[in-house]
Amino acid sequence: MKDSNITQDEIAAVFPKVAETMADAISCEIEKVKLDSSLIDDLGAESIDFVDIVFRLQRLFKVKIPRGKIVEEARGVLSEAEFEKAGVVSDAGVAQLRAFLNEVPAERFKSPLHVADIPRLFTVETFCKLVIRQQRAAAPAGGPPSA
Amino acid sequence: MDSHFRAFSFVDRITRLGPGDSIRGQYTIPPTLDAFPASLVAEAVGQLAAWAAMATVRCSHRPVAGIAGTIELLSAVHPGQVLDLAAELESVDTETVGYGGSAHADGIPVIRLLDCVGPMLPVEDFDDPQSVRDRLPFLRTVGAAPGGFDGLPALALDPCGGERDRVARARLHVPAAAPFFADHFPRRPVFPGTLLMHASLQAAALLATPATSANGGAWMPRTVSDVKLRTFISPGETLSLEARRIGHSDSSLAIAVESRIKQRLVGSAEILFCPALNL
Repeated sequence: MKDSNITQDEIAAVFPKVAETMADAISCEIEKVKLDSSLIDDLGAESIDFVDIVFRLQRLFKVKIPRGKIVEEARGVLSEAEFEKAGVVSDAGVAQLRAFLNEVPAERFKSPLHVADIPRLFTVETFCKLVIRQQRAAAPAGGPPSA
Repeated sequence: MDSHFRAFSFVDRITRLGPGDSIRGQYTIPPTLDAFPASLVAEAVGQLAAWAAMATVRCSHRPVAGIAGTIELLSAVHPGQVLDLAAELESVDTETVGYGGSAHADGIPVIRLLDCVGPMLPVEDFDDPQSVRDRLPFLRTVGAAPGGFDGLPALALDPCGGERDRVARARLHVPAAAPFFADHFPRRPVFPGTLLMHASLQAAALLATPATSANGGAWMPRTVSDVKLRTFISPGETLSLEARRIGHSDSSLAIAVESRIKQRLVGSAEILFCPALNL
C-alpha cells in the first residue's frame, strides 16, 4: 500500500493519540512531540522506547504491528540482498526508503546509510502512518478503521 | 552448591503450560528467610512468563529486563507460603514478549502485573542453551526442590540529600559479587530489574513518611507503574536514585523514581502510595 494513499486528515486523526503515546513512552513533554520530530534525534528515544511505543500503539489502536514492519514495508519489492549489503543500504534501497518515508526530510538520509541507522529516520508521522496502514489491514473491506 | 537455577530462580514447578499462551506454576518461599519482598514476587511471575515465552521459541531466546506497565501490590507474603503463579502471553516472537500475570498465596491475590514487555535476546548470550532446554521439562515433571534461594545480600540505599518531602536522593552500590549473579545470568551477570524496582521502592519510601500523611499514619505502596529498565546494570556499578514527589493528597502520594549511572538514565518507575489500613 502506498503512502500517497494516506491523507493528511487521516494522519491528523491519529496524531493526538500517537503523540500522547510517544510522550508517555519516552517520558518527554507532549509539547515537544511534533509530527516531524525524529524519535531518536529530537525526542531522545532509545531502543527500549521503540519496543514500548509499538506495544502501547498495538493496545491503544487494537492493531498488530509485527516487529520490523516499517523496514519490511519500506523494502517493498526489493529482496534483502537488493536492499542492503554488509549492513549498508544499497542505492536502490535508499531510493525505496526515500519514497516510503516521504515524511522524512531528504537531508536526514545520510550516505552511506547503515541499516542500523534506519530507525534514526523515523518520525512521529512515520508511526502515525504505520498505525493507519495496520488499521486498514485489520478493517473489514469497506469498513472504517477503529480509533 | 551450584547457584544455577537456585540463587535467583523463583519457579519450582510448572503446573500447566498452554493450551494457548497461558502458563501456571508454583514457588515455595523458603521458610528460613526473614522476608520475601514484593519485587521478588514480581520476579517470580516474570520468570514464569519467561518460561512460557522460551517454550514458544524452543529456548532460542529469552526475555531479559524490559518494561512493566503496572504492578499492583495487593498483599504481603511470608516465608513458607506457596505462591500460585499465573501468566498470560499477549504475544511472543524472537524479538519481544508481551505478557501479564499474577500471584496468589493461600488463595489471596498478592500481586498483579499488567502490560509487561520484554526484549527477547539469544539464550546463548546469557546461559547454556542446553541447560535451559533441559530445565523446562524438569520443571514440568519433577520440579525443583524448594529452598534454593538463600536470600538477598544487603542492598541498602545510601541517602545523599534532596529537598524535604519533595525530593530524595540516594546511592545504591550494586555488589561486585553476589550469589544471584551466578543465576542471573551464568554467562553474563546482570543486576535484576526487579531488584532495581526494590531499590526504587526504598528510595520512594524516603519521601513516604508519616509526616506527609493526613493523619500521621503510614503510607503503603500500592502500584508501581511505567517501570522501564533501559540498559543492563553490571556488578559493581553505582546507581544514583532520585525520588521526586509528583502528586500528593490525603489519600495518595505519587512518586517518580529515576536511576542513573553517571548521567545516563538506566531505569524509571512511578510509585503510588496509599494510607496503610489500621487493622
